[in-house]
Amino acid sequence: MRYNEKELRALSRQPAEMAAELGMRGPKKGSVVKRRLVKLVVNFLFYFRTDEAEPLGALLLERCRVSQEEPSAFSISFLEDPERKYHFECCGQEQCQAWVEALRRASYEYMRKSLIFYRNEIQKMTGKDPLEQFGISEEARFQLTGTPVDGWSCIGSRLDALD
Amino acid sequence: MKLNKRSVAHYALSDAPADHTGFLRTWGGPGTPPTPSGTGRRCWFVLKGNLLFSFESPEGRAPLSLVVLEGCTVELAEAPVPEEFAFAIRFDAPGVRPHLLAADGQAAQEAWVKALSRASFGYMRLVVRELESQLQDARQSLALHRSTPWKVNASHRKPQAPDRSSPAWENGHFLPRDHSPGCFMRDVGSRPAGRDLAEWELQGPASLLLSRGQSPVSPETSCFSTLHNWYGQEIMELRQRWQQRVQGSQPEHEQQDRP
Repeated sequence: MRYNEKELRALSRQPAEMAAELGMRGPKKGSVVKRRLVKLVVNFLFYFRTDEAEPLGALLLERCRVSQEEPSAFSISFLEDPERKYHFECCGQEQCQAWVEALRRASYEYMRKSLIFYRNEIQKMTGKDPLEQFGISEEARFQLTGTPVDGWSCIGSRLDALD
Repeated sequence: MKLNKRSVAHYALSDAPADHTGFLRTWGGPGTPPTPSGTGRRCWFVLKGNLLFSFESPEGRAPLSLVVLEGCTVELAEAPVPEEFAFAIRFDAPGVRPHLLAADGQAAQEAWVKALSRASFGYMRLVVRELESQLQDARQSLALHRSTPWKVNASHRKPQAPDRSSPAWENGHFLPRDHSPGCFMRDVGSRPAGRDLAEWELQGPASLLLSRGQSPVSPETSCFSTLHNWYGQEIMELRQRWQQRVQGSQPEHEQQDRP
């Protein structure tokens, strides 16, 4: 799968939600902890060698599970292979908790669910759809089922009944 | 640069909702000249969040390419051949060629431009924050307008504190049972003294928080997970009471006991 690496590198230079030097250990057996500059930008977690400007790698944070492993250590794994974990060591419990919280909210899917939740709540309380004023109430990304408006079925998506 | 490609591909194929799909002609890719020419290659595109994937076909089991849609603008464009429905994804990053794409018709072209323009994480975050503050406004005005509590027949309710062993409510992620400071969950363990049970339960989480002098909306988006937890508890309690009601004569008993 090709991807736009140049743009992803540019993204890694954008202002981060969270950035810190952490101990990082890859998922492979026998991998050792290395100091890395870890940077959370939108739904990507970039990691750098501490003295380099270009990222070593990136993790897309969709469908991931963030687990607290120890008071000051957490791991990230992905739904399709939950035992394959990226380990991170923090300098304390507070830092660890802050990262765990931030990472759990860092996915586009989490934001989508939040938005649908708020939309429904506002609709229940006021009787009005808050997205109508922006003219985006029909956008697929804001629907509960997420089926695209143009009627095409998409790969793997639930084929919930369309109107 | 490394990327967790396998997980990315799984996400592309998962049943996470696609925001837009369709056939598009694409220029660029391995073996293509730096300046787009010819009719391009027809691929099946899937937009999920801020990620644009392409496949050989709708049945494709592995994405051909990924375009991360951050730091870009989308605009109508001129195609290399007189193909009227072209548009380009232009990146702010220096030295990056725009991605040229073309739809089958005008409606599809417009729909794609709209969908791609709104694909960024930042856009979604803006909308979420806007709704968050609208919800806060709605709740505050509702709380202000509620001068008298809404009394409902409380005869079926058992006057006891509900079981507070809250579930680890899963929202696509695991949530820890020990919540972070600033979360109101710890306060919900005991009912406010001297308040009618019915009134408390019907006012909902926001007014409960407001009455305790806390804002229901925190600057971060942690509000959603705490509210989610609260509703989870509320549902558990409702389920408990329903079960008690169904069990028969016991509610009758309580009716006599309640002051």
